[in-house]
Parts: sequence; structure tokens; C-alpha cells
Amino acid sequence: MEVSWLHLVPLLPLIGAAVCGLVGKWLPKGWLYAVALASVLLSFLVGLRAFLGLGEGVQLFHELAFNWFSAGSLRVDMAFTFDRLSGALTLVVTGVGFLIHVYSVGYMDEDPGYWRYFAYLNLFIAAMLTLILGDNLVAMFVGWEGVGLCSYLLIGFWFTDEEKASAGRKAFVVNRIGDFGFLIGIFILFTQLGTVSIAQINSAVIPLGVAQLAALCLFIGATGKSAQIPLYIWLPDAMAGPTPVSALIHAATMVTAGVYMVARLSHLYVSAPGVMAAVAVVGTITAIWSALIATSQNDIKKVLAYSTVSQLGFMFIGVGVGAFFAGTLHLITHAFFKACLFLGAGAVIHGLHGEQELPRMGGLRKYMPSTRTTFLIATIAITGILPFSGFFSKDEILAQALHTKAFSFLTAADPAKTDVPFIRPLLVWLSTVRLTWLGPLIYAVGSFTAFLTSFYMWRCYFLAFSGEYRGPESVHPHESPPVMTVPLWILAGLSVVGLLLGLPPSWVHGTALEHWTWEHFTEGVFAPPRGGAPGEFSPALGFGIALLVGWLGWAGSYALYFKRGLLGDEMLSARLGPVRRALANKLYVDELYDRVIVRPLWALARGLWRVVDATLIDGLFVNGIPALIAWVAAMARRFQNGDVQRYAAVTALGVAALLYVFLVRS
Amino acid sequence: MDFFHAHQAQHYLVLGALLFALGAAGVVLRRNAIIVLMSIELMLNAVNLTFLAFARFPLVANSPMGSFLSGHAAVFFVIATAAAEAAVGLAIIIAVFRSRTSVNVDEFDTLKL
Repeated sequence: MEVSWLHLVPLLPLIGAAVCGLVGKWLPKGWLYAVALASVLLSFLVGLRAFLGLGEGVQLFHELAFNWFSAGSLRVDMAFTFDRLSGALTLVVTGVGFLIHVYSVGYMDEDPGYWRYFAYLNLFIAAMLTLILGDNLVAMFVGWEGVGLCSYLLIGFWFTDEEKASAGRKAFVVNRIGDFGFLIGIFILFTQLGTVSIAQINSAVIPLGVAQLAALCLFIGATGKSAQIPLYIWLPDAMAGPTPVSALIHAATMVTAGVYMVARLSHLYVSAPGVMAAVAVVGTITAIWSALIATSQNDIKKVLAYSTVSQLGFMFIGVGVGAFFAGTLHLITHAFFKACLFLGAGAVIHGLHGEQELPRMGGLRKYMPSTRTTFLIATIAITGILPFSGFFSKDEILAQALHTKAFSFLTAADPAKTDVPFIRPLLVWLSTVRLTWLGPLIYAVGSFTAFLTSFYMWRCYFLAFSGEYRGPESVHPHESPPVMTVPLWILAGLSVVGLLLGLPPSWVHGTALEHWTWEHFTEGVFAPPRGGAPGEFSPALGFGIALLVGWLGWAGSYALYFKRGLLGDEMLSARLGPVRRALANKLYVDELYDRVIVRPLWALARGLWRVVDATLIDGLFVNGIPALIAWVAAMARRFQNGDVQRYAAVTALGVAALLYVFLVRS
Repeated sequence: MDFFHAHQAQHYLVLGALLFALGAAGVVLRRNAIIVLMSIELMLNAVNLTFLAFARFPLVANSPMGSFLSGHAAVFFVIATAAAEAAVGLAIIIAVFRSRTSVNVDEFDTLKL
């Protein structure tokens, strides 16, 4: 249905950003907070009204705001689509975003740059909503770049600290690498299909080669934005920003943009089954890789950061195996409980006057009861223990991976393209390998990752809140003001209620809850995977295993850390010394990238600078030509020495030469 | 008129060329401005000698110039010009000597950049 008010959803926060950024410095603090909060709240209310308007008759709202540009056959509109997927995410972004705005009022109140902070935060919400609602890839790309910009601005918010400023730069540069892929993907789709509209792409018949190339390029963009291997390295460093920013941008919303993009373009990805498998495999490897690192981190925000990378991996498993609804469901529940966890960590850091190291925490349940309870609820939710929201969303992904049919007709190499020198026998062999085992393998690795998730989250909880306080005497832990704890409680509540979204439809068939399950709700939004959706399978066994790994993780963590506290880490180190040291050092990936990519690039750049720029361009062209003229002039100046006799001599010689030429030679 | 043939002028012409070369060498080599001025006079008179030689022994019997007197006329002009030039030249030398207390042409180099 064509409407005329949809642009308000991204526009309101944009106005808020303009007000806060342009005149916020001179506004009274209360007014600034009112503008910043109201713009997001109003945006949420418009979104809510629209969401309630969706029904059997109205599948989506669409608004053509204006024609942005046209060139030849390319027509790019600033247009918005509000359907069940983008609508739900709009509510999540504005809803969670509003709560984090409220929390930020408490968290950033004493910071002199608070007006700048709220301007960036509002701008982020506007960009994120453009990304979600944009009805074509170019509009989406505007939001995609906008959130990247805000991420950069907010990571480096305290830019006088060199380390934080460079973390912002790192995030920006790594994201640019991914964005390049995204852009190439858009170009491929436009040149091959002649359109950038998501709706048209999703209804086009896409040739396999085009689909694979475009999907792969777009997925490279997703690995940058959503912090997947190989581009995940910026996210842990992004924790340099204020903690509410980590909650909003680097946990709940922006980093899920890649998952959203894949789900939005489900038809394109279904048309490229090989890329789907790659998405699932990358997600799996990222999930276990970062979960392993998370087990050995001591900074509470780093634990949560690696946890986010790991959970994003789960989401990519979901969309990669063709269960788009499961991936996006985990996106939503993760937004609730991870925002709650990050805000809880922020409350802890706030209450300890900037302390982020788990070894100097402990025993905080006595000092901050609200923070502790909400953190506990969110921890249970993320570890996938009933009855909280992470249970169904994560286990739906794993169950779908186990039963998926998306890989059943795939082989490890294309049988038609084995004619490559040297490795031909390998390719011939690979082309006979059918990937039917890929789903179960992902399930096994994913389940082990779920165990690790439970283990490291409980470790984090026990080290922070159980035992005795281990910090210095001078720091007196205190509970945060209500403006910070109320959002925590609401998010904790959502982490519980989110469970309803994930109920298996067969359990609630015929009841009022049926309409609220995400699988039912998003019916028809996503393209069905190749080979069809998995048939009916009994969820009971899968749920049993999922509960078991969740509790096992808790049990392991409880045995190690509940009584002993930090001694648990020492015991682990004693048994697994080198492994644990490698994990604590993030598996040396940053160092590896530094050696393999950053330093060669530096060397190349320095070489280009010295040889091409300084020597060739500056030396030869810019300075060389004037030097030549100066040299010729210096030569010519010798003749003009003011000595009339020499002029006469030269003239006489010239006359003699002319006479010789004309009289003797001729 | 056999006596008057152009080839008979060569002695005069050689002498004129030698005088001219001497004058030119004096202009280029000598440092004293007065000697330079005298050398210029020498060059002018070498040219005069050449004019007169061609007037006395013309290259073509019936010259389009009409009569042999054109060479003599040129010489008179040169003598008049040389007199004026000597007067101006000596005046310049005196003026320069007043400011520089020198007649050495090596020191007169204010023309250079």
C-alpha cells in the first residue's frame, strides 16, 4: 500500500541529529535530552502504528519519497518499504535505540561532549532506519555507509586518546574493505539485471553465475559490517567507544545489518546455493573461533564483543542454511539480551569508575542488585537455557542446520569446471563429494559453540558478580541511577518475552500465540530454500541436546569459577597453558594481519611515496622542469656580464662566422 | 685605362683588412677606454681606405653608381661621423672617469643583471 508518512520514521531522528549537532552545544541540557529522546520515541510510535496496520489485507507499506537520480536506464529512488521483516526491525532499532538513549542520559551526563554524543546517536538511528527501510540497494547503501560513519565517530568519541582514535580508524578502514565488495555487488546486479530495486531483484530470474558473483560480493560487505571472518577484527577494538554505543551499534543493530541484507535478498542467495554454503561455513567458523577467544578474555567488554561476533556467526548459519526466519529471529532476540548485557556491563563499569577488568570485579551482586539480576536474566537468555528467549532462536538455527536440504545437491567443486592445470585430479575428486554432511557438521560445531557460549558467559557472570569484591579499596562500587536501571529491566523483560517469538508453530497451533511466532509471522517474506524447507522434524531431541549443552556450560563454569573465582582461570592455564595464552592473545590474528597485510601495504605505500611521488613526480616533473630552466638561464647569464668588450668580441666572432658561411662556404 | 684594374686594389684591401683587424683587436683587448676609442678610429679609417680603394679601382667599368665619386662621398660622411663619435666618446669617458676615477673598461660592468 502506497503511503505518504513512512519517511517520518528515518526523518525524525535525522532532525534530532541536526538539532543536537548544530545548536545542541547552546541548548539547555534538558532540552537537548528531550529532543534526542523524543525524536527516537516518535519514530518508534510511527513505526508501531505502521506495524499494527500490517495485516492480512496489507502486506507492506511503501513510500516513494523522491526520485534521487536517474541516468540512462538507471533510476534510483529514495523509497521505503515497511513489511513484516523491515517493520519488526524498525521497532527493534527504535525501541532498543530509545532505551539506550534513556540509559545514555545517565551514562554520558558528566561528559562535556554529551551534545555531540546524542547528535551521533540520533544520526545513527536515522542511518540504520534508512538501511532497513530502503527499497533499493542504493538507498540501503546510503544507510549502510551512514551507520559505518556513525560507528567510526562513536568508537573514536574520546578522540584525544590515541588508542581509541585508532580503534575508530581501524573499524572504518576494515568496513571500507567490505563496503567495496557491497558496491561491486550492486554494480553487478545493475549491469546484469538492470535494476537495483530489492523487490525486482527478488522476483527476477537470476542466472547462476550472476547470482553467485553478486551474492558473494554482497556477502563480503556483510563480513565487514557484521564482523565475520576474515573482517571481524575491528569489532573487539570497537569497544573503545562509550558502552551504550557498544550496546546499540556493536551488538544490537548495526552489526546485524549483514544478516538483514542476506535475509532481505533471500531470493538472490537462494539462487546461489554455493554462496549459501559459504555463508553458513563462514558463520560456523566465526562462531566457534570467537567463542574460543571469548573464553580467555579478561576485559568484560571484550568478552561481550567476542560473544557478539560468535552470535552473529550463528545468525549467518541460520540464513546460510536457508532458514532466514531463524537467522532473523536470533537477530531480534540477540538485540534484546545482548543490549541488556552490554548496558549491564556499562552499569558495572560506571559503578566502578571506569574499571573494565574482570579480575578487579567480583562480589558485585551485593552492591548492584538490579544490574546483577538483569545481567543474570540476559546471561540465561544468551546461553540458551529455558525459559528465556535465546533458547528457541539459537536452537531453531541449529535444528534447521541439521535438517536442511539446501546442501543436498551441492558438490564440493563444480563438475563442469574441473579443467584446471595441476589440481585437476583434486577438483575431479571434489566434484564427486556431495555436501550432504555439511548440515550435520555445522550442527555439531554449532552445538559445541553453544556449550562454549554458556561457559564463557557464566564465567563472565561469576567473575563479576559472585565471590568477594577484588578491586582496590579506594573504589566503592555503587548501583546506577534509575535512568540506567529502568532500561535494563525493560530489556531483561524483553529477553524473557522474546521467547514467544520463537515458539515452534506446532506447539501453539490454533492458539492466539500462533500469530506472534516469528516463523508464522514472516511467512511469504523469505524465498524458500533450494530443495525446499526441511520436512517436519521432532524438535524434542534437538531441544534436549541444546538444553544439555547449555547446562553443561553452566556446570563447567560453576565448578571452576563459582567458589574459586580467579583461581579457576589459573587452574585452566595450568592445564592448557599455551592454548589459553594463545586464546588470551586473540589467536594472534591482529599480529598475523599486521605481518601479512598491513606491513606489506605500508612498505608498498612507502615505496610509492619515495620512488613515484618524491622522486618521479616531485623530483622529475614538479622540480625538474624549473631546475632545467634555471640551468639554461645560468648558462645564458654568463654571456651577459656587463663587459662591453666581451659583447664586442662575441659580435666580432659572430660576424666572422657569418662571413665564413656566406663568403667562403658558398 | 688598363692600369686601373680591380685586382690592383688588393694591396689596399689587404692593408685595410689588417688595419681593421688591428682596430677590432684593440677594441676587444685593450683596457684603457681612450685606447679603445682610438682603436675604433682605426677601424673606421680602415673602412675609409677600403672605400677609397674601390673608388680608385672599381669592380665594374661602367658602375650603376654613376661615377667613382660615390666612394669618396662615403669617406667624407665617415670622417664627419667619426669626428662626432670621437667627441661624444671622449665626453662619455670623461663623465665615467668623474664617477669612477678610472678609464679601465673592465670596471664598467653595470650593464649586467
